[in-house]
Parts: sequence; C-alpha cells; structure tokens
Amino acid sequence: MKKIYKAKVNKIEKVSSSSYFIEIECENPVFVEAGQFISIYCNGLTLRRPFSVYSNNDGRIGILFKERGKGTKYIKSLKVGDDIDIAGPFGNSFDIKNKKSLLVGAGIGAAPISYLKTKLDNENIENCFISGFLNKNEIPKGMEIDKICTDDGSFGEKGSVLNYIGVIINEYKPEVIYACGPHIVLKIISELGEKYGIETQVAMEKVMACGIGVCRGCVIDIKKNGKIINATVCKDGPVFKGEEVVWEN
Amino acid sequence: MGKLSVNFNGFELKNPILTASGTYGYANEFDEFIDVSKLGAIVTKAISLYPRAGNKHIRITETEAGMINSIGLENVGIEKFIETKIPELKQNNINYIMNVAGSTIDEYVQVAKKCENEKIKAIELNVSCPNVKSGCLEFGTDENSLYELVSSVRAVYSGFLIIKLTPNVTSIEKLGIAAEKAGANAVSAINTLKGTSINIELINGKYKKTIVQGGYSGKGIKPVAINAISRLYKVINIPIIGIGGIETLDDVLEFFAAGAQAVQIGTSNFTHPNTAERLVEELDEYINKNGFKSLDELKKELRA
Repeated sequence: MKKIYKAKVNKIEKVSSSSYFIEIECENPVFVEAGQFISIYCNGLTLRRPFSVYSNNDGRIGILFKERGKGTKYIKSLKVGDDIDIAGPFGNSFDIKNKKSLLVGAGIGAAPISYLKTKLDNENIENCFISGFLNKNEIPKGMEIDKICTDDGSFGEKGSVLNYIGVIINEYKPEVIYACGPHIVLKIISELGEKYGIETQVAMEKVMACGIGVCRGCVIDIKKNGKIINATVCKDGPVFKGEEVVWEN
Repeated sequence: MGKLSVNFNGFELKNPILTASGTYGYANEFDEFIDVSKLGAIVTKAISLYPRAGNKHIRITETEAGMINSIGLENVGIEKFIETKIPELKQNNINYIMNVAGSTIDEYVQVAKKCENEKIKAIELNVSCPNVKSGCLEFGTDENSLYELVSSVRAVYSGFLIIKLTPNVTSIEKLGIAAEKAGANAVSAINTLKGTSINIELINGKYKKTIVQGGYSGKGIKPVAINAISRLYKVINIPIIGIGGIETLDDVLEFFAAGAQAVQIGTSNFTHPNTAERLVEELDEYINKNGFKSLDELKKELRA
C-alpha cells in the first residue's frame, strides 16, 4: 500500500474559538495508530504540513488544527466534498502499556492524546486525561477530557496544566504518562517522570520536509546507550521516551 | 533499451528522470510512495569518508517558491553505506549514483577509491563543501581548486564521474570547463543557491527572529538553473544533468531545450513524493503521442 492518497473532505467544522476539525475520507480506509501523523499538501506551498491524528472512525482520518499560517489557512478554506491530497500515516506511535495511565494534553496537543484515550478505553486500560487550554472557549467541542485547566480560570482549574501535574501524580499515582503539547510542558513532564520513577512518552513537533526520515530536516538530540545521537521526529518519533530526549532550554 | 533510455558512455539509464541528492535517502526509502526501480537513477544522500552528525540549529524552512536547508551533510559514512545500503539498492534493482562530499581532497580521493573497489558505476561530487585546507573556500567556486579535486578523483576512479556545479559563482562556464579538462564525464547543475530567511514574530511587544541560512531550492531557482545550463551547453562537450525546481513535464522539456541530457528532481519529492515516477510516465506518453522515435530525437527538436 503506497502512502499517498487522493481523498475528499468529509466534514469540516469550527470546534472552539480557534480550532477546527476536519475529517478526510480516502478511497480505501486508512488505519492509524495513536501518535502517528499524516501530511497534507497545501495548494502551492512547497512543504506538506504534518498533523497528528485525532480520530480514525471507519478508516476516515480526523485532525484538529488552528489557523497558524499559510498552510492551515488553506486547509481552513476547504469545504465538504473538496479534494485533498494527503500522505501517511507516518512515524511511530505511543507504545501502549497495560498500566494505569495519565494522559496530558496542552492546547492543540490534546488531539493525539484524545485519540490515544479512545484506544486505551477500547482496551479497558484505566486512564485519566488532563488537558490545559487558554480559556473555556478554546476547549474543543466534543473532546472528552477528565480534568480541564484554563489559564484564566474560566473553566475547571485556574492555571497551566503544569501547576496540577505534580498533585495529580501524587493523588492518581499513574504508572505511565503520555503527553503532547508545547516543548516546555513535555520537558517538565519528562523531568517529573524521572523524579518519580514513572515512564513518560512524549509526542514531539518540528518543521518537516519529507515525513519519512530521509531529508534529516527534523532531527532532535536523544540519549541512547550513553551517547547523544540524532533522531528524526518524523520517522524515529514523533513519540519519544521522555528520559531519552535532550531538552533544549 | 527503451525509447526513453540514455547512454552516457557506457553508464546507462532507462530514462532521464533522476532524483537529486539529499531528497531521496540512500536507497529504497521512497518505496512508501512509488516503485523506485522505475526511475533512471537515484542520487544518494552525500556520503563522506566518516559519518557526519550534521548541523545543530534549525535545518529547514519554507520560503516563497521553495525552501532553505542547512542539514550539514548528515550521513552514515562510506563504510556503512557499502555495508547496508548497496545490498538494498541491488536487491531492489535500483540504479544509483553515489553522491560524495568531503572537506579535503584526500577525503574525496579515499571515498573514490572505495567506490572503485566496490565497482560503483557512477559518482557525483558535491563540490559545494568548504575546503578546510584553503580557508574554507568551496572547491566548486575556484577553477584551480576544482581542477585539482576532479583530477585527483579521476586518477583513482574509473567509473562515470559527475561534478555537481554550484551556481554561487560569477562564471559557471569556467568551472564547467575546469571539470571537463580534469576528466569529468558529466556535470550536474545546479546545486542550491545561497539563501537566508528571517522569520519575524512580534511576541508580547518584542521581536523574535528565527534565522535560517543555507541552500535555497525549489521552483524559485528554475530560471537560474536554465540560465546556467544554457551557458554551460555552449562551452562544454560532456553531458549536462539539469537540476533546479523541476515539477512538471514542461519543466523537463525546458531543461532539455537548454541542453540537459537528463534531469534530477529534488525539492518536489517533498511536495509530491510521486513526482519522479509521474514524470517518467508523462514523458513516455508525450514521446509516443507526438511520434518521436527516441528521446534524442525529442531533444534535437527542442534544441533546433
């Protein structure tokens, strides 16, 4: 099966004050693991844009996105029934453990974590999903989250998800933590995981060109067997063990 | 041989559509998208004597009509290439040209000797690398140092030797002539243009600038490539392999018209990973539809 598809937009809707949901239907169903991503060709732009998968009902691919630049502006302009050129799925996936799981999302990073939650629920793995947003209007409609934090306190706990993560680790006592969000959130979660001896898996983000590990454009430093080596976010990742990532300041 | 075949003094390509170094991996990585064995050849990622980790800072950014890369020639090194990638290329019946990078003439020569021992049929020298022994001036920007490099490699390598010329020079003709005189079998043109992007964001009243400096590629460089090839075609007698922003069959025809015998697809592999395979099919269809007996006949008509 070649990983490039002519597909159609099956659904596109605004789901929060700044985010959109698009569901894409390929000729044949495409099945995706939690943490994997697809790339979308955006009319006239050189680089395809990578997006973590948010939902995968009956082989349709759902993603959440915010309008951040030219690529997402194009995707936002699409209508139901429009053609869309996608490739994937790419990358590794969360290594699902049959252990009490804490799921942490922040902002648009909640999307792949929400998809992971559906996988854990299907396998009856005990989990708790906490996610942080700027305010209540930023919470994507339809996303099932156990604990919500908002920076302005307009919904759930007031403050960043990072303010609560320590408390939750102590109370919930997870055996594994999965996370996606801004760099700083992933860094702190990885450090907490090491401090408390809890396995962490973090989904990273980086500008990409090829999506399959050949151009070496999206490398990060990771620690393996005492050595620091390059790893591509697109192929070796996007999910890494938190303790393996060499965090930039 | 089919209608699309190209014969470069014994180095045969089943068609003139190749993929450019750095955009296609080492071997069969693009089999996720296409049947790589259908292409004329792939040009591997640049291989150096020892493995290289590449650059630390931001490596790629999109620009108008293309992108800038600053990968820093990250690669597995010649030993690992021979050990792990050549068997994969052979097993999948992929014709390949090995791209070579180095920071001294001796490094190029040592790699070329290994290529000779391995009977690698064709190599392409990336001469846009800084020569650490002459003030880090790039080999490919000075005709004397290019001549010295190419003749040193020629002395140890008997296969098909291609020199990938840089456009960042005043007279690309002089460099093409130097490569030919030194014994190159072909030149490929052009490598990336020097480019810089400064992305500016205003965050909480302060400017955050993200600067990426490196090689500019993509459709924006096509006129520069066509210009370079047209000029080279007038002054050298060895074949020219055209590179620079090719996306469509019309682009390929334009490169043939300028004097290219074959072409390499680069940045477009990222945008549409099936570009090279599609161009092989479209060129085949075009030749048949328009009643050309061979690719050479088409090129002749285009250059008349």
